Amino acid sequence: MDEERVSNLERRYRLLLKVLPRWYRQDREEEMVGIFLADRTDDLDLEHSWPGWGETGAVLGLAVRTHLAAGAALTNVPMKVAWRGEIVRALGMIGLLLGVFYAGASITSMVYAYQHPEIVGGLTWLRVFDVAPIVAFVALLAKKRTTAKLAALAAALPAVVTVGPHIGSWLLFQLPSLVTFVALCLGFHREAPTPPVRRLAWWGGGALLVGVLGGFALGSFVVPVVAVVLRVVAFVRGDFVLGRALSVFAVLELAPLAFLLAGGEVFGIALVLAVLLVISAVAPVRPLRTS
Amino acid sequence: MSEQTFLVLTALAEEPLHGYAIVQAVEQLSEGRTVLRVGTLYGVLDRLVADGFAERDREEVHQGRLRRYYKLTDSGVRALQAEVARLSANVRAASAVLRGRGVQAWTRNA
Repeated sequence: MDEERVSNLERRYRLLLKVLPRWYRQDREEEMVGIFLADRTDDLDLEHSWPGWGETGAVLGLAVRTHLAAGAALTNVPMKVAWRGEIVRALGMIGLLLGVFYAGASITSMVYAYQHPEIVGGLTWLRVFDVAPIVAFVALLAKKRTTAKLAALAAALPAVVTVGPHIGSWLLFQLPSLVTFVALCLGFHREAPTPPVRRLAWWGGGALLVGVLGGFALGSFVVPVVAVVLRVVAFVRGDFVLGRALSVFAVLELAPLAFLLAGGEVFGIALVLAVLLVISAVAPVRPLRTS
Repeated sequence: MSEQTFLVLTALAEEPLHGYAIVQAVEQLSEGRTVLRVGTLYGVLDRLVADGFAERDREEVHQGRLRRYYKLTDSGVRALQAEVARLSANVRAASAVLRGRGVQAWTRNA
């Protein structure tokens, strides 16, 4: 290519393409630039135009899919990149299972509130959103990705409505829900593989059952405990993806615990769990098998 | 199968094409309704290649620019065939319903 005749439009388009991973650009950049400029022959256009919102959106979408590539959906994907996508998807799935657990606990508490309005003050319509994680989970397994994402967003909505002046504490407690929503949006794109339905259905059913039967009594402390146990299991089994996803999840779960610690409530238990979560977050995972 | 994927498969069914030719063919096939962005085209092509429906063909340099050709595989032809059968069945069913209402199934857009 003649370097002296590079137009402003080409320069701007190549700048936009830098959002794509380097391994992808090495393979595709020249080809993409060629197509983009194929019918742009007007000198004024080449000098003063920009790639445009539509093309920018399309390239950004491609960037998400390639940065979080599904191993089976792209060819020549470096192993590290393929695993990154798997970790984001695992994190989204863990977040959804957590949501299903809380939804189960909420169902029990709603039944209790319905039967004893004099004690707990009855129900408000906002409680409908409590079961949104179940909708999101089922929709994802049924390959209804958009529905799953909308339902995951709905799970965090009532907190937005009722946040009031306590925005700091709200952010800490809603962090897992918000990150779950982001992970679902980023990880479960059109090219992503379908999650293993049967295995996850068992996990989802289990989380719901435990939530319904014991979530109300067990409280939030059971979540860090389960996360730590699963982290150990992932290490023993050499499950790199689950291990890394749980490391991130441990950091997210640290946020509400830190709030409890700062408040001085149940300080001892919260401190022990916080230490376990820190260990979960920083503990090594089995090295990636590249074979 | 999305409409974009269907149109790209259809475009490639005729002969191996490079990226820009695919964009033009899709626009023609859809009578201008679908204009593929470059970023979108590569999302579709990546998926087709990964699914084994299309593969890279030859490369050539045209006016200093790289052109890479893509061609349909046998598996891609079968996938297109299956999609055409599915869509045809839908069209037949819808046409029968419209005929039942005394409405002409086919209208020509202006």
